[in-house]
Formats: sequence, C-alpha cells, structure tokens
Amino acid sequence: MQPFQYIEPKSLDEAVALLAAQPGETQLIAGGSDLLSEIKEGVAAPRRLVSLAGIPGLRGIRETGGGLELGAMTTIAELAQHPAIRACYTALAQAAEELATPQIRNVGTLGGNLAQRPRCWYYRHPQTVCLKKGGDRCYALAGVSKYLCVTGGDRCYIVHPSDTAVALSVFDARVEIAGPRGTRTMPIGEFFIGPGQDLLRENGLEPGELVTRVLLPGQDEIPLGPPLQRGVGGISVPVRSLYLKARERETGDFALVSVAVAVALEGDTIRQARVCLGGVAPVPYRARPVEEYLRGQQVADVDAAHAGSLALPNPRPMADNGYKVPLTANLVTRAVGEVMSGG
Amino acid sequence: MTSSTTAATGQSVIRTDLRDKLTGQAKYTADLKLPGMLHALVLRSPHPHANILSVDTQAAARLPGVYAIVTPFDVPPGKVAPDLAILDRRVRFVGDEVAAVAAADLDIARQALSLLEVEYQALPFVLEPEDALKPGAIVIHPEGNPGGNLVGGKPLSLERGSVAEGFAQAELVLEEEYFIPVHSATALEPRAALAAWEGDSLTVWKSSRGVHVDRATLAEALGIPPAKVRVVGPYLGAGFGNKDESRLGALAAVLAQRAGRPVRLEYSRQDEFVAGRTRHAARIRIKAGFKRDGSITAIHTIATLNKGAYLASGPGVARRLGQGSLYLYHCANSKYEAYLVYTNRPTGGSYRALGAPQGHFALETLMDRAAEALGIDPLEFRLKNQVRAEGQPGRRTTPPGQNIDSQPLEGGVPFSSNGLDQCLRLGAQAFGWGEPAEQPADPAKKRGRGMSMMIYRGGPGFASAAEVRIDRSGVISLVCGLMDVGEGATTVLAQMAAQGLGLDSRDIRLIFADSATTPNAPITAGSTATFSTGTAVVQAATSLRGQLLELAADGLEAPVDNLELSGGAVYVKGDPARRMSLAEVVRRAASDVLSASASVNPGSPNHIINSFGAHFAQVEVDTGTGQVRVLRYVAAHDSGRILNPRLALNQVEGGISQMLGFALSEELVTDGPTGITLNGSYLEHKCPTILDYPDIQIIFADVVDPIGPLGAKALGEVPAVGVAPAIANAIYDAIGVRFTRLPITPQRVLEALSLQRSAVSPPTTRSNRGGGLIADG
Repeated sequence: MQPFQYIEPKSLDEAVALLAAQPGETQLIAGGSDLLSEIKEGVAAPRRLVSLAGIPGLRGIRETGGGLELGAMTTIAELAQHPAIRACYTALAQAAEELATPQIRNVGTLGGNLAQRPRCWYYRHPQTVCLKKGGDRCYALAGVSKYLCVTGGDRCYIVHPSDTAVALSVFDARVEIAGPRGTRTMPIGEFFIGPGQDLLRENGLEPGELVTRVLLPGQDEIPLGPPLQRGVGGISVPVRSLYLKARERETGDFALVSVAVAVALEGDTIRQARVCLGGVAPVPYRARPVEEYLRGQQVADVDAAHAGSLALPNPRPMADNGYKVPLTANLVTRAVGEVMSGG
Repeated sequence: MTSSTTAATGQSVIRTDLRDKLTGQAKYTADLKLPGMLHALVLRSPHPHANILSVDTQAAARLPGVYAIVTPFDVPPGKVAPDLAILDRRVRFVGDEVAAVAAADLDIARQALSLLEVEYQALPFVLEPEDALKPGAIVIHPEGNPGGNLVGGKPLSLERGSVAEGFAQAELVLEEEYFIPVHSATALEPRAALAAWEGDSLTVWKSSRGVHVDRATLAEALGIPPAKVRVVGPYLGAGFGNKDESRLGALAAVLAQRAGRPVRLEYSRQDEFVAGRTRHAARIRIKAGFKRDGSITAIHTIATLNKGAYLASGPGVARRLGQGSLYLYHCANSKYEAYLVYTNRPTGGSYRALGAPQGHFALETLMDRAAEALGIDPLEFRLKNQVRAEGQPGRRTTPPGQNIDSQPLEGGVPFSSNGLDQCLRLGAQAFGWGEPAEQPADPAKKRGRGMSMMIYRGGPGFASAAEVRIDRSGVISLVCGLMDVGEGATTVLAQMAAQGLGLDSRDIRLIFADSATTPNAPITAGSTATFSTGTAVVQAATSLRGQLLELAADGLEAPVDNLELSGGAVYVKGDPARRMSLAEVVRRAASDVLSASASVNPGSPNHIINSFGAHFAQVEVDTGTGQVRVLRYVAAHDSGRILNPRLALNQVEGGISQMLGFALSEELVTDGPTGITLNGSYLEHKCPTILDYPDIQIIFADVVDPIGPLGAKALGEVPAVGVAPAIANAIYDAIGVRFTRLPITPQRVLEALSLQRSAVSPPTTRSNRGGGLIADG
C-alpha cells in the first residue's frame, strides 16, 4: 500500500473538481469495502482518495411522485430495510439482503456497489497485469474460468459482481451522474459497459464524473404498466418482482448466477416483463427472449421451464464454467415460476 | 485417585482462557509491544521456481528508518528444517521468502521492500506430482533430495498379509481413484513472531505449537546454544497443527540481532494462506476385494501426495493417510503405498488429522459402494467388517516390552479399548438410520443420508513431563512446557492435576508454554496432549499427594490411609475437625517448596491405543443450483472417558464445521500457467459460515480406557476424519452420483447431473451399479 492523500469535500462541486483535476491518480471512496481491499491487496494504488462522506444530501431514500430516489451514499442495509423498497421493489430489497455480509451491508453503499470492480481472480491478483489492468493478455483463457462469463466476453471475461445492479435493471432505473459539465441521467442498461466497449472500465462514467442518485420510476413513468395495488407511503406497487441468487455458501459470497424478474400484470395477463441476469456476462444481462415470451401471456399459461430455456440464447462457456448454462436456465425457471405463483 | 471427593474431571469446567478471549484482554503475539520495537516484512518470490542471483539492498538500506535487511547472501547458514534454510538462494513457489526488512514502521518497511533489487534466474516449474515424477523433470531440492522429486527417493510401502493372495480369494473387486485438492487451515491469527536480544541471549514470542521444539529449532538455525534461547507462546489464534513449520521465528531473530532492537514480524492474511502450511493434495487409488458374504479379503491403497515446496510434516501426513485403509476394517491382507512428491506449490504441512481425512474420504466412499454392490446396508456392512477389540489378524512384530505404535501395521495386538461398535450403534440410533430421508415438496430438492466411520491415533505421543508443586502459602502450581493451541489443554490438564489433589482446578496456578520456566515438552500435535502430557500430570499430582499425606499423617498423628485431601486441607476421615491446611502441611516440610515431577513415555507394550468415531449426515441437494446443504449431523465418538464435556463438544463441533468446507467449498487454487495462488483470502477460499452449519448432535460412547490417564483417549483431530465421506455418501443417496473429487461444489454437482442426464450409462451414477468399474474378481 502506497501512501495516499485523503480529502473529504463538503460539496458535490468540490468533489467533482477534485476528481476532475487528476483523474488518473484520484479515486472516489464511499463505503470503501471494495476499494480498500483493492488498495491493501496491491491492485489499486491511488495517490488521492476523495470521500463522499461529508457531502450532504447523497445519503437517503426519498419518495417522489410515485417513484423513489436512492442517494448514492445510501447503505445496502438501508436499501434492504426500507419499507417502500421491500413492498414495491421487492427484488431490490432481496438483492440488497443477499449481498455480502451484515458488516459490509452496513458500510457498503449503493453507488459503491454499482461501481465496484470485478472479482476475477486474475484481475485481483497483485502480480498479474491483465488486459483490464492495461496489460496484454487475459490469464483466465489458459487458467481457471469457473466464475467468469458465459456470454458477452470480448478479450476479457469478467462478470459484473453487483447484486443491486441486476435488480435495478428490472425496474428500468436511471442513474444520475454529476460531472464537470453538470448533471445527466441515463438508463441503468446503458450505464454498464462491456469489455468490447472499454477493457479498463465497467461503466460509462467519464473522468470527473460520479454517481449521485439512482431513480426508480413510479407508476406514471414506469413502462412496465399500471399498478397491481396501492402500496405503502403513497407509492404504488407496480409489479411483482423477485431476486434469486445461487452461490457457494449462504453468506459472504458473490453470485455464481443471479436473476431478477419483474412482471406487471393486468388481471391475469402479463403486460410487461423484465428479466435480468447476474454472473453470466460482463454487465447485468437482460434476458430479452424471456421477456418477449412472457409479455402478453396469461399467468396460468406460462411454462416456466421454457422461459428458463430461453434465458441464454447463445452461451459461449469457457473451460470451467459450462455449469452456469444449466444453472441459469434452472434459476430463471424457478424465478419465473415463483413470480407466476404470486412470489 | 480413590479418596478424592472433588470430581475435578468429568465436569465442564470453564476454559481458563475464556474470560480473556471474550473480553478482548487476551494477548496474541501480534498484540505484544516492546520499547523500540521494529516492524518487519518479507519480500516474496513472484516466481514459482528460480535461482536468486543477487539482491541489491543499497537503495533500501539508505531509506531512513530501515534498520536491518537480511538476504540469502548474508544469512546464518543454519536450517529451520532439513530442507529449509533461513533464506535460500533458490525460491520454490510463488510466495517463497526472498529477503526480509526491519524498519521503524510498516510503511517504511513496505517501501524498503520495493527498493530491493533482486535478480532471478527463472527455472522450469512443476505443480503436479505426476509431472514432477517424470524423467527429466526439474529437481526442486537437488542438494537435499538429489535425483528427483520423490521425497527420500522411494515410496513408503507397508503390507500386512498378502494383498495378492487376498485379491485371489475375492469374489468382487472394486477400484476407484479419488482426488483431494489443497485445503487451507485458515487460522484467524496469521503467524507472528517477536524477537528480542539481550546480549547474546534471545527471546522469541511466537505463534507456536511447541515452545521447546521451537527453541531447539531456533538454536540450531542460528547456531547458538539452546540455553541462550527462550521461546514463549502467547495465546494462539488457532493452530490446527500447522503453526508454524516456517522461517518466521528465525527471520525475526536475525533481523532483531542486526538491528539491535526488538523486531516483530507478522504475516499478512494473504501470506498466511500462501506461505503458511496447508493440507496436502492427494490422489488416492484404492482397490478392495470382497467375498459375496460381505467380508473383505484385501485392501490396497496407493496415495500420491503433493508436498509442495518444503517437507514440513510430509512423511507423517503420508503415513497417517494410510491408517484407515490399514486398520479400520478387519482384513488380513492390506497394503499401503505412498509417494510424497515435491512440487512448486505452497507447502503442505500438518493440518488437523494430517492425511487421515484424505484417506478416509477414499476408503469410506469406496466401502459405501461395496456395501451397495453386495446388497448390504452401509451400517450393517460396517458393523460386520469393523475392526474389533482384538485388533487385526496377523502376527505381532513389535519386540516384547516395547510400546506398540498407535499407528500399527502388524496384526495380533488388541486395542486397549475399542468403542467403534458402540459409536456405530449409538450414532445410528440417534440419527434414525434405516428410515428413508423425508423428501421436501419441491421436486428439485433431493434429500439423502450417508455415514462413515473412522479410526485415529488414541493419544500416546512423544515423551512428556509435568511438575506439580506447592509453596509455603499453599499455592499449587502446575508447570508444563506444553502449548495450548486453543483447544483447551491447559484447562483439562489443570482438571487432571486437581483431581489428584482434591482441589478445584481453578485454584491451580498454571505455568505453561515458556521454555525458560517449564520442563521440556513436545509439540502439541497428534491429539496427544490429554493422553501423553496428562499421564505425566496425573503421575506428578499423585506423587505430590503422597508427599502431602505423609507430612500430614505425621502432624495429625493419623495413618495415611485414614486421611482425606480435599478443599485445600488434609483431615482425618470421620473427624474433619482434625485438619491441616495445605500451607500448614507444607511448612512441616524441610524445604520451601514441595514438588513432584513425572516424565513418561506414554503408551502400552501390549495394546494399540486408538480413538474411534461414526458420523451420520443428512443432506439436501438442490438439483437446480447444485447447492448442497447439510441439514442434520450426528457424530458418535469413542475418545475414552470425557474429562471436560463442554470442551469435548467444542472439539467435535469444530471438527465437523471445519471439514464441512473441506467437503463442500474449500480449495486453495494454484494457477497452472503462472504458479500464483488465486484465492488466498477468506472471501475466495470459501470456509462455511454459521449459516451453512447443520444441526449437530454429538454422542460420546461410554468407554473408559484402561491405559489412558483417568480413562481418557485422544479427541482433538478425530472428528475431522470422517466428515467428507459421510456427506459424500449422503449426496449419493440423494442424487445417485458418487463424487470422487472434493470439494463437492455447485459446479461439480451440476456437471455431474448434466452427465447423468445425457449419458447412457455414466460410470459414476446409480444406474450403473453392479457393472462398469465393478468387476468380478
């Protein structure tokens, strides 16, 4: 670990200015649960850390005209416990609850979870200089690929490790970004980028930019359809949703594969559906053939196993991760089945 | 012991260290500070195999705050183990020690490491024993083990009877190959040492499994007389047998000597995973012959162990791997061969039960298959074939009068006690063996039940000693060189001393784990502390009791036989008013302190002393996700008389919990192309957490060993031995897949289920029983 400067700005503008001044040597720190381990293990070596802890207004969950605004500094534990999220965006609460361990959920933040770096063993090893670290090769191709992607790999084969990103994707969340040129928002599906676009990054943040909020649409804006029922705190419940995560131990583990499913029902008809997968691709992966299959179906007619079989149209497993293909199908089958039966 | 009224043993006395540990007061080595203390760090090799041509220390030495540097070119020539120099000009795995620096703080030390310029000459490397044994393979220890990478140049080979004859008699022969990968002990406390010199005398506080052995090792390595070395063992944050078998203490001592100041060296978490000591990976080929009536005619096991870079306890591990196949089942013809092979992986060392869990996984999985092939229930099969009290058939080979090895090969020698049958019956009863597993409503989830049995050394170990003394104020001390490695040895040994002296064990002052103040003691290893050191403690306490009663008899004017020693006083039976406090008794002695010592060579010339167990597991396999959950676990153990039930339960719970990871989730992975260790962290080397643990029920068979001190036998390692096969057999019962490779992860379950669905007749599935690998002999 090399020495670094630690700065705690008091305003967003100040933070953006600090970040933009020396982008290559400066890193943001929120909860630090990912970044500090990268620093300690010799994977990251920033000269300057800019903390978001002292900036007012970045933490907390606010209800807005039927939707929610989630501050980037909101902890994962706060997401998991929030009554409106539990009631209306159930998959997100479940994803938050299944994430890491209680200690990490208490310090880890939403923004940090979306921006966390990959868990690829080769990327995380201090001795390797892989493509993602600016090197010239992917070590996993000749090495161990058990946890890597089965679709969307392009020279680099990471999976995005965030649980919340997968759940947010099925609610058509938008990410609010502040930067030197002001504030912009983008759909969460565009926020994450794969190695084909940029080997060194997992999201579209430009130098000097940072995530300030995540916006969850409410009943009026959500393209999923009309609400099923009225929810708590004046927020409507637009959808039924669910998050399932397969892993190797019950806690403190990243997903081998995870799935979030959300459906909007009109009577017994599925008006709209969203299915997103974690652990299979370098970005949260929308299983669009499953969504298309579900859309317009009667709940009773849904063949969950068929839905599962559509989840990964053209998987390209590596040497050790072929198991993720049946695992994905099985997990989607289970999630769709549970959502259809009222889960 | 007959007249004691205080049943100091057999009670769940609270462990001596509990308060300190629960309140955070306990001082571990890394908590210790000395005035002027420096902090050391080790430079580790990025190469799996290389010669170090030079180390340029000039830039690092000029850094303000750097006090000492040690390299392979200026290190004392002594060794810390036969194949382990304090630093060597050859590095043998990624993470091997290259050089070390002591500085005013860790930041400076870190910077100094980055300034060391090392010139390496990279060498070819081998990670797998199969490659390391090939002709022409690079030799990893050309000086100490010339000619090849097979340790000692030849395999271990042990045979009782004739397996050739046994297989000739067989009506059914089964054969299978098993693979167990490297498994890290993951002790919470990374290894640490603090070294300080006063003149030419050295004191080292360190993570230790034996301060006297560490003292001898350090004296040898540094080339100084043992009398000039003192080693102290503070609280140990778990040892599991493998602390520390490393260069740690010697490096700290050399740096402290050069700096002229105390030096503390603590491993990082990643160092602990990579440069600590691991469970040896093993490939095990086992073949067994049976009669149609279910009896066993021959067992032949061949194990190849991946030694990694250095010897550590390798030969002991190799030997113990075979004991199950040599001795657990009644069998006249048994052969065990072991190839211990150097490779360029992290070093395998002692880790709870050494090779026994690997060996039992292979043996007990194969025997489950045999029971099925023979149409016999797995419990019935084991009840029928278990080794009995009379031991194995055959002829004794140990000369008369000589103690029998607790890992014998020979037949013709009975056990001192053998509660295996009780373990099988009591465990099966508690578990409800024979009733089918109740299946959950979700058809994707399949439940199954499985079992295993186990045998292990019963406690006789190295020569052991203890002293019990009482001063003029009546304070009784137990003085013992043993190191409590976290299992609670001090608590139990105090109970054993207290029983002889009619005391509450908490009133005994404990003087342990300091080579300057205690008699010589062995390492705390092989589950021997209670049995071996305990034998010495009981003898010493009995002897002191005799002295006290003699003195009191004089004072109280009553014969010794009429006296009672209890509650810190001696009194006349039936007339408790006629009494003397222990202090008064001691004052009648000629000297200030009354003392009794005992040195023992524990064991028996006529009996094998072994411990036994039987485990039963119920699992649920999620065929959708491949996840295995152990729902229920019953462990029945014969460890002789249980001296502290609470501590004994802790040992069994700990062993099961620890080996749940060995069975299902833990594997230390080395990258083939680079030799780097990929998952040296708690996050990625997946130890189970409390959420993964099953409901555990523990039973102790009612066995009192006639030789063990107060009837006790070994327990520490035994519960770790049979966990993996019990779980693997339960998984087979659930989904019809026999796993031959650990850990049984979701990946492997899903791969096996895919094979099972797609293949016509895959060799490892239930659909194939009776055919395929099963050949009539």
